[in-house]
Amino acid sequence: MPGWFEEISCDLGAAWAIARKDMKIYYIKPSILVSSLLFPFVMFLAFAIGRNAPAGTLIPGLLAITLLFSASSIEPVSIPIERRTKTFDRLIAAPVSIRAIVLGASLSGAVFASAIGVATTAIGLIAFRTGIIHIVALLAGIALTSLCFSTMGTLFAAYRTENVGEVMSLLNLVRLPLLFISGVFIPFASMPAWGQSIAFLSPLTYAHDLILFAFDGTTLFGPVADTLVLVLAIVLFQAVGALLYRRSRE
Amino acid sequence: MDAIEVIDLTKRFGDNIAVNGIRFRVREGETFGFLGPNGAGKTTTIRMLTGMTGITSGRALIHGHDIVRDTLAAKRLMGVVSETSNVYDELSAWDNLIFTGRLYHLGKAEIQRNARDLLDTFGLYERRHEPAEGFSKGMKRRLTLAMGLVNSPEVLFLDEPTSGLDVQSRRLIRDVVQDLARENVTIFLTTHDIEEANVTCDRVAIINQGTIAAIDAPEKLKQTFESLQSVEVSFDSARPGLLEALRMLPQVNDVRKEGDKFRLYTADPPEVLGSLCVFAKEQNLRPISVTTRGPSLEEVFIRLTGLSVGMKKKVGGTDAGLV
Ligand SMILES: Nc1ncnc2c1ncn2[C@@H]1O[C@H](COP(=O)(O)OP(=O)(O)OP(=O)(O)O)[C@@H](O)[C@H]1O
Ligand SMILES: [Mg+2]
Repeated sequence: MPGWFEEISCDLGAAWAIARKDMKIYYIKPSILVSSLLFPFVMFLAFAIGRNAPAGTLIPGLLAITLLFSASSIEPVSIPIERRTKTFDRLIAAPVSIRAIVLGASLSGAVFASAIGVATTAIGLIAFRTGIIHIVALLAGIALTSLCFSTMGTLFAAYRTENVGEVMSLLNLVRLPLLFISGVFIPFASMPAWGQSIAFLSPLTYAHDLILFAFDGTTLFGPVADTLVLVLAIVLFQAVGALLYRRSRE
Repeated sequence: MDAIEVIDLTKRFGDNIAVNGIRFRVREGETFGFLGPNGAGKTTTIRMLTGMTGITSGRALIHGHDIVRDTLAAKRLMGVVSETSNVYDELSAWDNLIFTGRLYHLGKAEIQRNARDLLDTFGLYERRHEPAEGFSKGMKRRLTLAMGLVNSPEVLFLDEPTSGLDVQSRRLIRDVVQDLARENVTIFLTTHDIEEANVTCDRVAIINQGTIAAIDAPEKLKQTFESLQSVEVSFDSARPGLLEALRMLPQVNDVRKEGDKFRLYTADPPEVLGSLCVFAKEQNLRPISVTTRGPSLEEVFIRLTGLSVGMKKKVGGTDAGLV
C-alpha cells in the first residue's frame, strides 16, 4: 500500500471513530434529540405568526437555520468539556493527525444535523404538502450545509478554554448575524448594497440558495456554484481548524 | 537503539521554566522512574515525550523516532496513562477500550481480544457494560491503565499510576507493571512515592525544579550517601535531655526522634555502636533494640532535592559529605 493511501485511510478511520464516540456521548440523548426537533417548530411559530406568506414557503429558510444551529451547537460545548476532563488529551496522545481530530469532531455534528434536517423536511412536507423539485440538490444541500457549520462550530472550539460559555458567546457573535445577512430573514433582493456584499461572504447565503432551488427552483447563483462555494467553505474551515488546533497546544 | 533518548529537553511556560535542559536515555525493556516533588516537571516531561505538548528546545526520540518530526510513528509505539483518570464517563468500560483501540488503528478482532484480556486482568470484566461514571476512583484508574495498554505498547508512560489508591489496587498495578517489564516493555513512570520507585524501577532519575539532580539504580543512589547511614536505638525509659546528649556523641552527625526510637545519623555505624554502649552504661539506660540502617531512598531524595527535613548539622561536627 502506498504511504499516502495508508495515511488517509488511517485518518478517515480515526475520524469516524471520533465521530461515533461523539454521537454516542453527546447526540443520541433524548433531551438533545427532542430539543433539536422542536427547534424548527418553535422557529416556525415565530415566523409564521403575523405574516401572511403561505406557511409552506418558510420551509427552506427554516431548514437552513435548523441546520446551522443543530450542526454548530454541540462541538463548542463538548470540546471544552473534554479539555476539562482531560479526555481531549487522549486524542492528542493517540497516533492521530490533528486533521483527523477536526474532521471527526465535525463529522458527528454533520451526521446529526443531516438527520435532523431530513426529519424537519419530512415533517414540513407532510404538514404543508409542499413539493420538492430536486431531491439530489436537497440532500446535497442538507449534507454540505451540515458539515460546513459543524466545522465552523469545531473551529470556534479551538479557542483554548475549558469554559463552555466563552466558546458559545464567541460563536453566537458570528452565528446570529449570519441569519440576517444571508437572505434567510431578509430576502437577498431587498438588502442594501453593503448588505449584499457581506452576504456574499456568508456560507449560509449559498446554503439557503441551494435549498431554495431544491424546493421551488428559484436560485440566485445556481446549484453548481452554491455547491462549489459550500465545498470550498468546508475545506477552508477544516484547514483553518487544523491550524488553530495545532497552535492551541500549549 | 535506546527506547527513549532525551537531549537537552526544555519547556517554558512564559517566564517559568518547567523543565530545564534535561538529558537521559532509557534502554529497551528498562523500567525508569522519574521521582520528584510536586511541580518538579514530571508531568510536563511526560507530556513532551508523548507529543501532548510542544517542546521549547531540545529533542526527544522514541525508538529513534523524533517526537516532533515523526510524531505519528513515535505515538504508535507508546501507551500513555495520564495523571488524571481521563476515561469517558458516559461510555461503558468496554466502549472506552474499543474507542481507544480504534484510535490506534487496530483491527476489530485484535481490539476485542485485547479489551477482554485487559478488563479481565484489571478486574473489570464483570462490570464492562456499566458506564464508567459509576466506577470508584480505583476502578477508573485501572480502566485508564487498561486503555493505555490496549495497543500493546512497546514504551509505556505512566504518570503517577498508583497515587491515591488502596493497597490492593496499588499491588495489582505494580504486578501488571512488573509483568510488562518482564515482557521487555519499556516503562517510564513518574512518582513521588519513593518506595514505589525503589521496588519497581531499574533506574531512577531525581528531578527537582526542572533539573535532574541524579540518575542511578536505587541501591547505588543509596550508596552514594554513606553519611546517611544510621543507628536506630530505643531505651527502656525516656528522659529529658536525652536527644541533646546523644547529639554530643562522637561521629554522630544528627539525631532524630522517631516515636520511641532515636535515629543517629553517621558515616561510621560501628564506631557509634561502641560509644552508644558506653553512653548507655554511664547513663544507666538499657537499650531495648538497636538496629543499623543504610540510607533510605527517601533520605537520598530529600538530600538531593534540598527539601528541609532533619539533617541539621551538629555544631562543630563534620559536614556530612554532600554532593
Ligand atoms: N499548562 C501550563 N501552563 C503554565 N505552567 C504550567 C503548565 N503546566 C505545568 N506548568 C508549570 O510547570 C511546572 C511543572 O509542573 P508539572 O505539572 O510538570 O509538575 P509535576 O512534577 O508533574 O508535579 P506533580 O507532582 O504535582 O504532578 C510547575 O511550575 C507548573 O506550574
Ligand atoms: Mg504531575
